[in-house]
Amino acid sequence: MGRLKRRRVSQSGRFLLVIFAVGVMFLPFYWAASLSIRDPKEAFTVAGLAVPFAQYRPTLANWRTELATGETQRALLNSLVIAISTVIAAVALGAPAAYALARFRFRRPSNEDLTIWFLSQRVLPPVATAIPFFLMMRFLGLLDTRLALIILNTTFNLPFVVVIMRQAFADLPVELEEAAQVDGANHLDIFLKISLRLAAPSLAAAVLIVIAFTWNEFLFALMIGTLKAKVIPVHMAGAVDTRGVQFWFVAVRTLIAMLPPVVLALLAQRYIVRGLTLGAVKG
Amino acid sequence: MHRNDRIKLAFLLPAALWVLCFTAFPLVYGAKLSLYNVKIASPDEFVGLRNYVHFFEDERALSSVWITLIFVFCGVTAQMILGMGLALLFNRPLPMRGLFRTALTMPLFATPIAVGFLFFTIFYEEGGLINGLLHLRVPWLSSPYWALASVIIVDVWQWTPFCFLIFLAALQGIPDAYYEAAMLETKNGWAVFRHITLPVLQPMVILVLLLRVTEAFKVFDIPFSLTAGGPGVATQVLSMYAYRVGMRFFNFGYSSSIAILLLILVMAIIMTLFKRIRQAYQ
Repeated sequence: MGRLKRRRVSQSGRFLLVIFAVGVMFLPFYWAASLSIRDPKEAFTVAGLAVPFAQYRPTLANWRTELATGETQRALLNSLVIAISTVIAAVALGAPAAYALARFRFRRPSNEDLTIWFLSQRVLPPVATAIPFFLMMRFLGLLDTRLALIILNTTFNLPFVVVIMRQAFADLPVELEEAAQVDGANHLDIFLKISLRLAAPSLAAAVLIVIAFTWNEFLFALMIGTLKAKVIPVHMAGAVDTRGVQFWFVAVRTLIAMLPPVVLALLAQRYIVRGLTLGAVKG
Repeated sequence: MHRNDRIKLAFLLPAALWVLCFTAFPLVYGAKLSLYNVKIASPDEFVGLRNYVHFFEDERALSSVWITLIFVFCGVTAQMILGMGLALLFNRPLPMRGLFRTALTMPLFATPIAVGFLFFTIFYEEGGLINGLLHLRVPWLSSPYWALASVIIVDVWQWTPFCFLIFLAALQGIPDAYYEAAMLETKNGWAVFRHITLPVLQPMVILVLLLRVTEAFKVFDIPFSLTAGGPGVATQVLSMYAYRVGMRFFNFGYSSSIAILLLILVMAIIMTLFKRIRQAYQ
């Protein structure tokens, strides 16, 4: 009897602990939302948790101003175009390579070495290729173009596609492909019409992860996309420099920047573990 | 050439060539640059290892190394412990578990540069969230020590969910029979964790450690937006120093040598864990 009671206490204690942890993790998002709908005059005066309606009258004015700015619209468009083009390029290059690694035998270098080679780029600190890449793009006349950022993000994200898809293809039963081969289908048909379709869930995971990482990329965007190819993260950083601590705009821009990748993370929840561990954990 | 060989190369080569062009080539180019004094207007001047020698005499560079190491060590340790704690809490029946798990996933993909700016408003000393809510007067961003702590806290906020998700997936893969057998021996929860859970989880712990360490060494966005490397150079991590030397002072040669040394530092740490990680992928 006593033990049962103690267990119930520890059960609710555990629940409270989880609530506290989730609250702490969620608080910054709440704070951003609360700041973004506050009148600028009240940014510093509302105390504590700043509950809308109870402590101040919320307004959408900040959102309206920000979204009506041409610069913001262009940055959103740039981010979107770059993310989508990157994901197409990364899948077009990465998925066939993954298929080759999963289905064919390579000798020197071996399949494992090739996989590790693709993976090893994730170890590389971006700053190690930043200056050379900047000089290359200057040489090619691609500074401040979307194309340069698409090339760059494709490079960074290729390992995710290769490693996630290699595992996905390896997990498919090989019999289907063999049957198709007997019927006279060629490898390209088999790859496009059978394997890629069966691996669709993993492909979706890879796509979502690539879009989120491309959207979030900042260092190279800062160096290469200064004006015409300015993306959302760089747009944000610039605004803070010139405006100082205008919290309400920081909050609006923070949310504009964060919402797409956070929503993608929620959509891709099932695959995040597999994706971020580069296929090592099934999750 | 065998027909199959041509097909498999046709599948693999585009990606491999791409990596050679845009990763391997820039890396080699960077290594070459690090041996030169690169000037904008006149031809580059070969200086041998002078940039590297300069690094070890450069106080700012050496302090960046320490700041980076402290950041990586404290941040990753905290993430792993907190992530494991959360995973253990979630590993037993819990009301609204799915909802909570979703909420904990949110920080993972939040744009790091935006996260830094957001936490700037949270750590803001007059009227920011933390000092306001808890009635504190902590100099989060103006004291060198607190500023580094703040950068670490933000990184922990963003990446604890990653450790949590992987550890939870691993915990749920442990068969109940293990625990039932252990419960026959002892009622001590810590002993079960120490002798059953942890050994079974060991490959995952090493994998998470490896992934987090490599990512943490790349850190740039959060100190850039939260503290701009300051106050002074208190939070200027190595990536940031290399960036500034290159893009603010246009000393491309020295910047490249800093980047190469950062790469060597990461590789040295990874190599010690490499054998274990290979096992995880086999």
